[in-house]
Amino acid sequence: MKDVQHLIRVVIIFAVALVGFLSVRSLLVPKSFGKLGHYRADSVDEFAAQPRHYAGAEACKKCHAQQVADKAKSSHRGINCESCHGALLGHVENPKSDNKPRRPKETEMRAFCGHCHERTISKPAKYPQINLKEHNPDAPCNMCHQPHQPK
Amino acid sequence: MTIMKNFSRKQFLKTAVGAAMVLVSKAFSTPVQAAEKFFREPAWKRKKPYWGYAIDINKCIGCARCVDACKTENEVPREAFYFRTWVERYILRRSGEVNVDSPNGGLDGYLPPADPETVTKSFFVPKICNHCEHAPCVQVCPVGATFLSEDGVVLVDKKYCIGCRYCIQACPYGSRFFNPITHTADKCTLCYHRIKKGLKTACVEVCPTGARMFGDLSDPKSAISKFYETENTQVLKPNLGTQCKVVYKGLDKEVR
Repeated sequence: MKDVQHLIRVVIIFAVALVGFLSVRSLLVPKSFGKLGHYRADSVDEFAAQPRHYAGAEACKKCHAQQVADKAKSSHRGINCESCHGALLGHVENPKSDNKPRRPKETEMRAFCGHCHERTISKPAKYPQINLKEHNPDAPCNMCHQPHQPK
Repeated sequence: MTIMKNFSRKQFLKTAVGAAMVLVSKAFSTPVQAAEKFFREPAWKRKKPYWGYAIDINKCIGCARCVDACKTENEVPREAFYFRTWVERYILRRSGEVNVDSPNGGLDGYLPPADPETVTKSFFVPKICNHCEHAPCVQVCPVGATFLSEDGVVLVDKKYCIGCRYCIQACPYGSRFFNPITHTADKCTLCYHRIKKGLKTACVEVCPTGARMFGDLSDPKSAISKFYETENTQVLKPNLGTQCKVVYKGLDKEVR
């Protein structure tokens, strides 16, 4: 009978430890953990809910159909509006907001267009490039080239 | 009893081994075949949607509009150490020397190379998280904060990440960094908040030459599936067996 009492004590200690472990575990492990895999399934929805800044090309057509139509015929047709004009979701939601489309000033224009069109040996050879120092150095680009209908 | 009498020890052993082999083959053949099929067949044949990404090096002009757009869209710190995507310039010289640079991820523009007469070729390589099928970063995460989502995107759970930086060390492509604001590991999410709404990722949206491409691999008619099927593509560091879902067209052997 003495031996059995020893065993009962051990069993009680193990039971308390197990209950303790399970309750601490249920408090620490997030609810959705393991639902889809070894991660918190709710975090996927949290990623999907992150705020946006770029509106996407479709949004521009509603108000700026003329500019979009002009661009569609030009060699800049593959370029989306926000590529040059910046992130504009705020402008799409409220055109009067502070989120104004980027329109480079005449002084900034050569550097801005140069992002893509400055000649370097690293660009694909067929891509239209100019040497910014030799190609009409003092003239802003839009004196000759319209960005929506470049020639 | 007559049967038992006629059953010699040799016959018994033969029958027993035969029966055991039949049982074993019956028990294991189906799961083994299923497992083989599971690992041989790409995940995008099983799950819908499943996102893939492609980069055409022959089209990249190194304008770094993608780098700028990514930082804006995902509110990545503007300092020069934090990039979810960046553009490297490779310069190969006649001596066999390879120079790689990416000043501020490409945002500051590239200086003309020194000794241009020794340059044999030069090109730009946009880099991004490769969203590996067997991602080393996912394997090493001690808490399960980094994972491959159901639609094939490797993500970092910011609320669960303990900031141990192990994944940053493990990534063979250097695609991860430690975010100084959230104090967690950070990386490209393939603009998960945009693609879930049917929009393009910010980098694909602004790319002026169409060098970057993105889409649903589970749809056999999508442009990305066509690209995967018809173009000659390569992934970075294929020897690692990470099974990247970012494929490159026109990748030079010197690119690491």
